[in-house]
Amino acid sequence: MTRRLALVLMLTLGLFVLPACDKGEGGGGDDKKGADGGGGEPAKGTIGYSAMQMKNPFFKVIADTLTESAEKAGYKVVVSDANDQVSEQANHIDNFIQQKVTAIVLNPVDRNAIGPAIKKANEAGIPVFTCDLQCVDPEAKVVAHVGTDNLGGGKLAGEAMIEALGEAGGDVIVVHHAQANSCVLRVQGFTEVIEAHNEGRDAGKTNIVATIDGKATRQPAYDAMSAALSSHPNLRGVFAINDPSALGAWKAIDEQKDKVGPIVIVGFDGQYDGKVAIKEGKIYADPIQFPRKMARMTVQNIVDHFDGKEVTAVELIPTKLYKKEDAEKDPELH
Amino acid sequence: MIKRFSREYGSVYVLLILCAYYTFATWSVQHPTTPGAARELAESVVEEHGESARVLIIVRDKPVQDVLFAEAASEALKARGATVVDVVTGDPRGARKAIEKAGASGVKLDAILTHHYAAQWGPLSREHLDEMAAEHASLVGVRIHTPKSYMWSNFLTPANLGNVMNQNADVAIIAIGMTMVIITAGIDLAVGSVMAFAAVVIAVTIQRWMGGAEASTVGVLAGVMIGVGAAALMGVFNGVMVTYARIPAFVVTLGLMMIARGLALIMAVQYQADLSGGATKGTPESVNITAPGFGDFASGDLLGLPNAVVLMLVLYVAAHLVMKHTSFGRYVYAVGGNPEAARLSGVPVTGVLIAVYAVCAAMAGVAAIVDASRFVGGRPSAGDLHELRVIAAVVVGGTSLAGGQGKVFGTLIGAMIIAVIQNGLDMAGVQAYEKMVVFGSLILAAVLLDQVKKRWLSGVPSKWGAELGGVVVEVGGDGSVAGGDGGGGGGDGGGG
Repeated sequence: MTRRLALVLMLTLGLFVLPACDKGEGGGGDDKKGADGGGGEPAKGTIGYSAMQMKNPFFKVIADTLTESAEKAGYKVVVSDANDQVSEQANHIDNFIQQKVTAIVLNPVDRNAIGPAIKKANEAGIPVFTCDLQCVDPEAKVVAHVGTDNLGGGKLAGEAMIEALGEAGGDVIVVHHAQANSCVLRVQGFTEVIEAHNEGRDAGKTNIVATIDGKATRQPAYDAMSAALSSHPNLRGVFAINDPSALGAWKAIDEQKDKVGPIVIVGFDGQYDGKVAIKEGKIYADPIQFPRKMARMTVQNIVDHFDGKEVTAVELIPTKLYKKEDAEKDPELH
Repeated sequence: MIKRFSREYGSVYVLLILCAYYTFATWSVQHPTTPGAARELAESVVEEHGESARVLIIVRDKPVQDVLFAEAASEALKARGATVVDVVTGDPRGARKAIEKAGASGVKLDAILTHHYAAQWGPLSREHLDEMAAEHASLVGVRIHTPKSYMWSNFLTPANLGNVMNQNADVAIIAIGMTMVIITAGIDLAVGSVMAFAAVVIAVTIQRWMGGAEASTVGVLAGVMIGVGAAALMGVFNGVMVTYARIPAFVVTLGLMMIARGLALIMAVQYQADLSGGATKGTPESVNITAPGFGDFASGDLLGLPNAVVLMLVLYVAAHLVMKHTSFGRYVYAVGGNPEAARLSGVPVTGVLIAVYAVCAAMAGVAAIVDASRFVGGRPSAGDLHELRVIAAVVVGGTSLAGGQGKVFGTLIGAMIIAVIQNGLDMAGVQAYEKMVVFGSLILAAVLLDQVKKRWLSGVPSKWGAELGGVVVEVGGDGSVAGGDGGGGGGDGGGG
């Protein structure tokens, strides 16, 4: 009996502790990197960052820049991936509170449902900063938000689409991700410009014939676009709310290029892959965002807050339209 | 007694080892902010600067403990005759202003009493204080005092243990129903989706028909009951398809998994569209519940335990009693052990199966209440992949997928093992992908252990084929373990 129990214990120990040990060491390595004050503890404390979805390179850029500039400012950063689940993100915030982090940064997965979790952080006296995506719960206190002017970016995308389609106009599909508020604003701006363009026009209208859900990710966007192509044979344009969905849509169109005519794709973001696709002519144009700037400004907000300085509650960075000629001059692509 | 406990709930040792490991792994510097620490600190400030000391107290405005810290420090200082220049319960900006004011007043400030967290603020940094001292002579030589730090585990604190259980209370609650289903040799893959469905039903019912922000307690309860009831109906559907239509549970519940998720999304989108008056097509966002105090259930606690954890424990005790001391409980084991033998001994097999699936889905409904309260809304994306977590909890808890054996409290331990591992990995900053590998290995390890245990119990180094065929015999064999339950031995005896 005892011998059996001992073996059972040893087996389980081996299975559970080994992977955990591995992590423990990894964590130790991070400690060293972040600690300027010595003694394993970072000089000014730890920042907990809960990213919306690290499969999207956009958030990876934010995470890396955030870590880099926070370390320069004397903070250590713990990065967690909410994997598009607000329940995961709420757990991250609970854990950050238990770890007594100095500040919390997040890209809210759900603009409403994350509210109660932020309130818990408020109660614990830990300041919360959002970046890229905003929380709309009026009771949840966020010290400062840095994001993109998504409405303005959507308008730029609409103008690019009109320019690309010319006087002929035609049918357009939107590859949406309606769960994210930022995407809702992009599509709103896009739609506004298209509708204004159609105003008083009899011929050459640009019609948004369908909105499909690409989940802001390559594969689902590819699946949705493949299906949509068969029901919309006269398609002339696609507006995808970010680069991964634009590239997914491009793949679907490219596979059926014998059946469908040339289709203009306008994306959003200006991620590396997106810029390359613009250079290669796969994507017509992107209103580009500035994730590095966003992350740096967020760190600056944290530093300013703890210095007792005034911080801007909401700061929106305007987008810039990026086309093939910009890509050809872009040093990042050489 | 201990021997029997070890045999039935051996996984509890795994849980204890895990807790010990994480206690050790998260051993780190702790910075006290308790009133007790404040009093002690006040004493040492007076000792250093004398009884005429002039002290500024700076803490945050939240958490509440900070305010208590400041009050305790202030009282202790005054009791010793020292002067409290000002008490700041606020943010770094407040601290900056208070220091400037103290400097401008021209009267010497000896010390700033604070804790580790506020001491990290810019205005309290050495550079800033030196700058200020250059301007105001009254600030020359001002010292910052914080309570002595000590070493303790981040994991092993009452707040974190409550947090660990609270984060997985929904999974643990569904696992009660899943244990019953798996004991009947069935499976329910739809629980996560049914949970989302119930959460959205609860939210839409309260918002649309119970008055939303004006909803009364009765209205809210009615909404909650309707949600749980709707979930239970889905369970009845599962049960009927499994029994009367003879479709394998795996297939039935796989179908319902997609249907329920789809319905939850449709309802949420439709609700949002109606909310905007048809102006937009609606988004699959969380349906906000504006009824007053709806979020209080999840954020409140009872005797220091989060409400969701209390609910979970109550349900576990109830389920344990039902499974151990009622004829229904014994029927469930009998049906799983050998349905034909159970039928011949007069067990209403069909009814038991339908009831078990209904209970499982109803538990998903109860978990939906917890989730809806936690997020103050019905999320159509709630319970994503919960079916896997729940099944993992049941299997790790020692319930055999072959049916006929399993313990409700074993599942509770299984759920807690998963919760502890998840929390530990989160605390260590492990990413979602690596977590998946750890969880997958965990499930395999649990099943492997189960097999090893069985072989040892039977003591026969048989071939795998014989081993698999021997499962039914094993049920009979383990029935003798459960035989202590009384009549349970009779039902299982038919399997042997």
